Amino acid sequence: MNGLARRVFPFAAIVGQERAKRALLVNAVCPGVGGVLLRGEKGTAKSTAVRGLAALLPEIESVPGCVFGCDPKGALCPDCRVRAASGPLPSAPRRARLVDLPLAATEDRVAGAVDMEAAIREGVRRLDPGLLAQAHRGLLYVDEVNLLPDHIADMVLDACASGLNVVRREGVSAEHPAEFALVGSMNPEEGELRPQLLDRFGLSAEIAAPREPEERLAVLRAREAFDADPDGFLAAHVPAQADLAERIVQARRILKNVRVPRAMLQLIARLAAEANCAGHRGELAMRRAARALAALDGREDVREPDVLEAAELALAHRRRMQAPPPPPPPPEEEHEHDHEHDEPPPQEEEAAPEDDDSGARPEEREAEPQESGEDAGEDAGEERPPPPEEQQGGTPLPDVRQIFAVGAPFRVKPITFRKDRLARKGSGRRTRSRTTMKAGRYVGSLPDAAPTDLALDATLRAAACRGGRRGDGDGPLLDIRREDLRQRRREKKIGNLIVFVVDASGSMGAAQRMSEAKGAVLSLLLDAYQKRDRVAFVAFRGERAEVLLHPTGSVEAAFRHLEELPTGGRTPLADGLAEGFRVIENALRKDPDTFPVLLVISDGRANAAPEGVRPVAAAMLTAGAIAEDGRVRSLVVDVERKGMLSFGLARGLAEALGADHFHIEDLKAETLVQVLKDAALGGQER
Amino acid sequence: MLHGRTNYPFSAIVGQEGMKKALLLNVVNPLIGGVLVRGEKGTAKSTAVRALADLLPEIAVVAGCPCACDPDDAAGLCPDCAAAAASGELGRTVRRTRVVDLPVGSTEDRVAGTLDLEAAIREGKKRFEPGILAQANRAILYVDEVNLLDDHIVDVLLDAAAMGVNTVEREGVSHSHPARFVLVGTMNPEEGELRPQLLDRFGLCVEVRGMDEPEARMEVMVRRAAFEDDAETFRTAWKPEDERLAARIREAKALLPLVMVPDPILHTIVTIAIEMEVDGHRADLVMLKAAKALAALDGRDEVSEADVREAAALALPHRMRRKPFQKIGLDGERLAAFGKSA
Repeated sequence: MNGLARRVFPFAAIVGQERAKRALLVNAVCPGVGGVLLRGEKGTAKSTAVRGLAALLPEIESVPGCVFGCDPKGALCPDCRVRAASGPLPSAPRRARLVDLPLAATEDRVAGAVDMEAAIREGVRRLDPGLLAQAHRGLLYVDEVNLLPDHIADMVLDACASGLNVVRREGVSAEHPAEFALVGSMNPEEGELRPQLLDRFGLSAEIAAPREPEERLAVLRAREAFDADPDGFLAAHVPAQADLAERIVQARRILKNVRVPRAMLQLIARLAAEANCAGHRGELAMRRAARALAALDGREDVREPDVLEAAELALAHRRRMQAPPPPPPPPEEEHEHDHEHDEPPPQEEEAAPEDDDSGARPEEREAEPQESGEDAGEDAGEERPPPPEEQQGGTPLPDVRQIFAVGAPFRVKPITFRKDRLARKGSGRRTRSRTTMKAGRYVGSLPDAAPTDLALDATLRAAACRGGRRGDGDGPLLDIRREDLRQRRREKKIGNLIVFVVDASGSMGAAQRMSEAKGAVLSLLLDAYQKRDRVAFVAFRGERAEVLLHPTGSVEAAFRHLEELPTGGRTPLADGLAEGFRVIENALRKDPDTFPVLLVISDGRANAAPEGVRPVAAAMLTAGAIAEDGRVRSLVVDVERKGMLSFGLARGLAEALGADHFHIEDLKAETLVQVLKDAALGGQER
Repeated sequence: MLHGRTNYPFSAIVGQEGMKKALLLNVVNPLIGGVLVRGEKGTAKSTAVRALADLLPEIAVVAGCPCACDPDDAAGLCPDCAAAAASGELGRTVRRTRVVDLPVGSTEDRVAGTLDLEAAIREGKKRFEPGILAQANRAILYVDEVNLLDDHIVDVLLDAAAMGVNTVEREGVSHSHPARFVLVGTMNPEEGELRPQLLDRFGLCVEVRGMDEPEARMEVMVRRAAFEDDAETFRTAWKPEDERLAARIREAKALLPLVMVPDPILHTIVTIAIEMEVDGHRADLVMLKAAKALAALDGRDEVSEADVREAAALALPHRMRRKPFQKIGLDGERLAAFGKSA
């Protein structure tokens, strides 16, 4: 839509994916339903379906010449308000738009910025409208929406919530209506969506490739025909497209007459309550979707199948949101008994804090769908080892090497660290940091008389706003002065270097500890993968520690070492710590911007050390030295079984390291992050 | 851009048949979507890609257009060419398809394009200055060490690859232009894996490793030494071989639209995709396109079971559904077993 004519695979020719198509059609009929999120594996025509919809969007009445395409009967931009004061506004039809928001878009183009050309040529400061203005009364599409940078996502959310875009930057101050439905597509393999953003989507649909040969064949044939002769294919589908477009127009026409009988309203409310939906957006979206579905069917009354279909579209992603419910003292409940039945009122959960994971209500956990696609370890479910046989934790150490299977992984809530104040460089997704290199995402600009990384657009806008136009006909038109210069602000998420120091001594062989420890490491590795952390792997057993894997971005390599890691022998804990720290020191020497984390997985028992040294004392001494150094963030994952003869040695180790201490079972309870952020890092960023 | 550099002749590369085949298939049909070459260092990955430049066909382009628009494709023109076409005839010129480098350290504005500084200062106008993605239109976009590419650059690539259009909404400019490219990447898996979405954008995937046979290794050394001693003589010696290959590619391209795919073969393709539990539909499509290109390269106008099997071996390794951190690669036994049962 942003300019280029494209040959887009026609919507009417898309085979299967009925739910996604219905969700998109509902939005074309009634944008008020609030957009749709398409989730699915790669290569499943997610964006093809969305872009195909653009050709089917109906024409809407708008004020001719208005850059925002204001609705003559709706919210008006400042210009139209002025015009409306002096008489009725003119009106003409134009096609509703589907506007692409590319991931690399910058703020000035999303929200709008001062119109540089107008400032230079006419000396006026005027808003050059951005994508939010173009999307007004249409759809705003973000492909790979889960990768949208936070600062852009926040702008979109603000506009979504208020229906207004407010620009106060770089010498312009403007606001205009920006009512749009947000359409997103994503592959959950690349990470999940922020809950605030997720909640903004009225509907959602999962897309998966069919496993039926006939259907797959039909997909293959259609696509190959399109690729071989796009124009011929498009021509062949003109009638089908026209039919579909006409159906949308008809549905829009009767939409306002569609009634929702009381019984259907009750059904909607009951379904929302049963799904434990947070907030009322679920019901609202369901009701609107049900009306649009009835209208698409050419009916003016909503029936049960409409509601059930609407529920599938409107509730899937809200039900999923139950995993991170509000923190323990829940926000004030709004008692809005619209309908008299005795379901408890759903809780309002406007913009729940992202990382809250404590205090889950048990019934919500049950409501969580079992096939939850966001469970990072879903594929390994079948590999779950048999339940551990209870053994005594304190059995004598067998000095034989054994290789324990990797325990089942679980989803680790993301470990996040507060925004780093130092300027570091690197590439990763865990910790956001300012970056000194001319790399990283350009997120804004600051005045700087001697910029090293000139923010060209901002500098030009500043010069233009100052009225930096040269009078003489010759030479450059724009006069740029030192005061106009702007430095780019870049931001880049730097990954951490996580050094796993894993106890592989004989004591770990008892009671499936090693299996569990491996499961924990695997879970952390999965998390590390999504955050683009670098990892290193140190194991200690027998007489000494060994670096099995030097820092690498290959989490796979770490996993292979984990899989093959044998267990047995004594516990040279001090050497393990020292070796882990040595790896970090080396990494820091190579790149001082590394953000290192030492992750010790052990029961804390030490029984091996060079002659004449007491093993436990040596470990404590080493731990103290690492803590003293101060450059390393440490964590201790305690694998000692709770409740039995517990020595609490790992806790002591954690204290000496100045580290956070978690029991392996806490990790499973998914509380790691919260504790991490609160305890160790003194507050959180975001 | 790789012109002006003296390339090692493609035909003189010893072994690495899978990689060479995968690259040739993409030349025959660019819609296959490129190839990811995985392997250790020093396995002629980059040499092969650069050598390919000499075999690429000639194409008609709009003279002076930064994104090398096709003058015969009125619907696919960039905005500038479309405007020019509306007001008169487009200038045309014929040149060889290019290989465009995307260096790993590139910035977003270099890749996607940015505001033209000169036009802004001199004329007070916002004009788009094209970046690497514009050059990459209708070309091969080559990323060495693609797994080391910064995340936000990958995002730009993914956006463009999704629809073959580069949409720029940044730094004061709003512009879009066609960006259909064949993505060729090389990587050493020891240094980290690719993001799943990017992985899927590569049509084919081949694994290369150093050759074991002493004789082949000898031959590599001998040829390399000869090339380094006197590149021109070496190139002249291999020229007939390279020309034969170029002719074969031309013929295959001409034959491609005529290649038939019998229904049972189509069935085989989707059944393989289902049996091998791949994600999404791209595997089916790529298998089909690669099998057709294989038949065309072979001078046949009908796809055979063997073509499909060969195509599957190239199209599936990186699309198999994997357990976390399972190695990327094809379950060859499964594919072979399937071939027998089918």
